[in-house]
Amino acid sequence: MSDTTATRLVADERARSAERARQADSRRRVLQNAGVLIPFLLVLVAGLAFVPHFASGSNVTNVLVNAAILAIVGYGMTLVIAVRGIDLSVGSSQALAACVAAAAVNAAGPLVGAVVGVAVGAALGLVNGVLVTRLRVPGFVATLSTMSVFRGLVLLFTGGAPIMIASTSFKSAATTSVLGVPVPFLVALVLGAVAWFVLDRMRFGKHVVAVGGAPEAAVDTGISVDRVLLLAYLVAGAAAGVGGVLLASQLGVVNGSVASGLELQAIAIVVLGGTSMAGGRPRIIGTFIAALLLSMINSGLNLLNVPSFYQYVALGGLLVFALSIDGAQRAAVRRMLEGRHS
Amino acid sequence: MTAVVQVLDVVQEYPGVRALKGVSLDLAPGQVLGLVGENGAGKSTLIRILGGIEQPVSGRLVVRGEDRTFRGSAESQAAGISVVSQEFRLVPQLSVADNVFLGHESTRAGVVDAAGTRARTAELLDQLGLDLDPDRPVSSLTVGDRQMVEIARALSREFDVLIMDEPTAALNGAEILRLHAIVRRIAEQGKAVVYVSHHLDEIFEICHDVAVLRDGSLVAHAPTADLDEARLVEHMLGRAPQTYERGAVTEHAGEERLTVRGLRVPGVAEPFDLSVRAGEIVGLAGLVGSGRAELTRALFGDLPATSGEVRVDGRAVRLRSSREAVRHGIFMLSEDRKGEGILPHLDVTENAMVSRDRSGLGLLRRLLPVPADESAQFERLRTDMRIRVPHGRQLIGNLSGGNQQKVLLGRALLSGCAVLLLNEPTRGVDVGAKVDIYQLVKQLAEAGVAVVVSSSDAPELAAITDRCAVYFAGRQVAELHGRDVTEDNIVSASVGQTVQEGSDV
Repeated sequence: MSDTTATRLVADERARSAERARQADSRRRVLQNAGVLIPFLLVLVAGLAFVPHFASGSNVTNVLVNAAILAIVGYGMTLVIAVRGIDLSVGSSQALAACVAAAAVNAAGPLVGAVVGVAVGAALGLVNGVLVTRLRVPGFVATLSTMSVFRGLVLLFTGGAPIMIASTSFKSAATTSVLGVPVPFLVALVLGAVAWFVLDRMRFGKHVVAVGGAPEAAVDTGISVDRVLLLAYLVAGAAAGVGGVLLASQLGVVNGSVASGLELQAIAIVVLGGTSMAGGRPRIIGTFIAALLLSMINSGLNLLNVPSFYQYVALGGLLVFALSIDGAQRAAVRRMLEGRHS
Repeated sequence: MTAVVQVLDVVQEYPGVRALKGVSLDLAPGQVLGLVGENGAGKSTLIRILGGIEQPVSGRLVVRGEDRTFRGSAESQAAGISVVSQEFRLVPQLSVADNVFLGHESTRAGVVDAAGTRARTAELLDQLGLDLDPDRPVSSLTVGDRQMVEIARALSREFDVLIMDEPTAALNGAEILRLHAIVRRIAEQGKAVVYVSHHLDEIFEICHDVAVLRDGSLVAHAPTADLDEARLVEHMLGRAPQTYERGAVTEHAGEERLTVRGLRVPGVAEPFDLSVRAGEIVGLAGLVGSGRAELTRALFGDLPATSGEVRVDGRAVRLRSSREAVRHGIFMLSEDRKGEGILPHLDVTENAMVSRDRSGLGLLRRLLPVPADESAQFERLRTDMRIRVPHGRQLIGNLSGGNQQKVLLGRALLSGCAVLLLNEPTRGVDVGAKVDIYQLVKQLAEAGVAVVVSSSDAPELAAITDRCAVYFAGRQVAELHGRDVTEDNIVSASVGQTVQEGSDV
């Protein structure tokens, strides 16, 4: 009889621990979503209330196109951060892709130009991936170096002069709207959906989580960690390439210094979106929303004629905020599992 | 019977260490082979080689009559060798189902068949007698459940050889029995099982044969029926084992060194009271999740208590961080020796000196430790504690678990603490070193330290503690004194039975 009591007590304890786990999980989800949704709504409301012309058609288009380019680069960064890496070279890669694409558009037409731009980005990503997986250079150092190398290459390529894009059809791509939605934004939505599906539902996504969450476990289960890392950096480069093509189309004129400082923005939106710097938790939807948030902040500050100096301060502040949410999340989950109800 | 897997004269070397000195072993279908040996004897190395994680320097692996070289775990798995590793190799962010099928997902065009994965996982968990939602993230599971998921993962593959490296270390009694039944069933299906355990009773319970490794060599390989526990231990140690004799239980009339009144810790249902006198060893028993881990962590300031009072030598102390605890004379050795105990990149001397009480030293010596002085201190520890290291500059990471623990006990001794909290002091420590550690704990107590031992090893508590509090689901369910501190009483109380009913377990 005492045996059944023990069994019952053990079962009770198991049920309680399952309940705690469920709570911790939902709490993490709330924090993750709140971390990006609350600032998003606050900025949206503040923008509509206080910023003149915030809801004007041209500004909305502007915000959406900028957010789209940022989000696409962010998807790649999400993947790299999810495997515990980081890609600091996305800004330089994007610039090189944009300039080569612009030259290719002038030489061979819009379609070839777009393909060449993405290919350049992918190739640069491959370089990063090879440095990390073959030469065993830590991602931070490898991409810090290539950030400088790629920037140098783009300046050499352009000779310091701007490249004007002649093709009007290429330039109009970024500003055309379908059903009132700018084309780049549609591209970002589609790519986001694909990225989400791959990470959440496909084998590759599970392997990304495994490599980022528990590298030893990934090795032991026979996952090729190097292949996953290489692909992650390759995709991040390709994403920067897509962003570069869209940027070239949006600007019409590109030079060697476009997209500088992009890496910080990309990291900020990824972390703000709920992807953990500790690896293993990619959140594509969060990255997408955070890209919109950052784009709104930038345009709001522009419309208010705030000097760009302050925008740097705002970006840094946002990144610190995002990282502190990341830490708070982990602490909250730990507390919950340890049974501290607060 | 032909062997499924043959290991022939395998040698493995690490920088400065010859981990395997030519080991040969045959695995026959339907055989359960117990693999035993002290820590550092080469068991884990052999398993890693069979699992394809390491490649031997020389020697051959023959699988079903064919010479094989595994360049990675994927190849070993493809050859039908499935390993349940000792360290948890699960991805905390993924669900139970995703973990079980990680690396061999059932997919269509790269898309994971989520429903199928879930259903097959549920089936496997059911076989293991585990009531667990396949969708739960592994990060939320208890250690015991994680171990079972790890086993489910090994079973989810097609295999001919199953290697289990200390699978029961984190399991409770009922789970262990279930696991034994599963191992027998697997063997009946004609598969070979290699079973590694420090619990020798398990080896005799389920293994047909036993292989003993010592210092990288195979020193014995015989049917279990031909051996008894004493002979087996002798093979493992290479000498007759010493036994630990508990001295007569004495009344401790020493000063009360640690007094805890009404300490409330989150996750523990009842407030906690405890008093430990100088020279006394008090045990905390209970299953994983019973609350005893939280109590020791609260006493070390690692987990903030919500109310209650802690006194050390009569002085009330506030414990908001581990640093404060150490300052007030409370020292803890964690059960996670690798993660929270040793400083792996420092040598043994530095490891022992790191918490040393320097208040008696001059200012200069506090800031600039004198190497000669430190080595002299360490020499003393080494002889007192029988730490087996060639010299004081040996990196601690290369030592066996038992020797690491001795160095850590030395660290506690030098910290000049009044209260010593020990969590699982002999987890992963082999039989020989265990006895040494018990003696050291006893010596520390005799020197006037109040010792609290929290352990899931009932025979250990029975052997060394003067008094033992047993916890179940956050409540103290029994306090055993003197002669009543027996293995049976502790075990029966830990599963929620009262001491009187203990005999029918």
